[in-house]
Amino acid sequence: MTQPLVDRHDVELAALAAAGGRREFGELVRRHGSAVRGLLRRMGAQPSLADDIAQDAFIQAFERCAEFRGEGTFAAWVKRIAARLYIKRIAKEARYVAEIENDEASAAPDPAGLVDLDEALKALSEPERLCVSLCHGAGMAHSEIATALNLPLGTVKSHVKRGLDKLRARLQPEPAQTLGRTQHVG
Amino acid sequence: MSADEFDPAIERLFARTPSMPDAPLFTAQVEQRLQKGSSLRAVALGLAGVIGGVVAVSELLTVNIAGEGVVAGDALGEGMRSASVNAQTAVQSGLDQFGLGTLELGSMNGMQLFWIVAGALIAVAAAGVVRLSQEV
Repeated sequence: MTQPLVDRHDVELAALAAAGGRREFGELVRRHGSAVRGLLRRMGAQPSLADDIAQDAFIQAFERCAEFRGEGTFAAWVKRIAARLYIKRIAKEARYVAEIENDEASAAPDPAGLVDLDEALKALSEPERLCVSLCHGAGMAHSEIATALNLPLGTVKSHVKRGLDKLRARLQPEPAQTLGRTQHVG
Repeated sequence: MSADEFDPAIERLFARTPSMPDAPLFTAQVEQRLQKGSSLRAVALGLAGVIGGVVAVSELLTVNIAGEGVVAGDALGEGMRSASVNAQTAVQSGLDQFGLGTLELGSMNGMQLFWIVAGALIAVAAAGVVRLSQEV
């Protein structure tokens, strides 16, 4: 009897998908679709655009499935494809070159103090949000981000640092309910 | 990532998958696109195969075997000519069955075949360019 798809490992499903298995790839989409869509939204994409790009990323991943060697996670691999597609899209619009000074976000403080990551990201400028999400969400190195965004490496590092500082500040008010809870895992 | 940028709490927050109520719809849309792409590819490959097959068969049937002096021996030349005529008849009757009886393979001249092949090659090249432009 064949093993149910839900019990199979991502690497195994990807190998079957590389051989043309659409059902197996569908299982991978079911598992990681929300993570990829979530990353794109965190990068600053509107929900409909995020979904379109996520779909394109999965289609591209299916066509390139043979390239996935299982060195990292499948989710991380697709996230990087999606991130690059999004960068390409916004590069056409030249949105990321906006100066931070002209693009300061002004997210209102959460009265309840229950700040989650998605809310906290709204406090970042667009370049900061993009760089932080690419670095921590898509797992890209600073140099990769600099190349992809066609920005100087120092600028990328600055965006990431300032973005993280803002995130920490936003996430600080309720450490017991946000950060504190996750730190009890270990 | 430098050491002062590494923040386990933020890493964990980014690693969390957000809940998407329309996740099944998203999965279905991707599967639908995969299915559609697969069908289009099958049609394109099938069409290219048919075109290639028709061109190959017609080329085979229009070869002037005995007149070129390539084949040694009248008997062999006659046999191949006979086989060629038989094959042409079979193909023509096949085309008749598909309503393509007006397509006279034997009457195609070199120029017609050239344009058919050129057209097919251009179509393949265009498909390749489109594919490349999607990937770049």
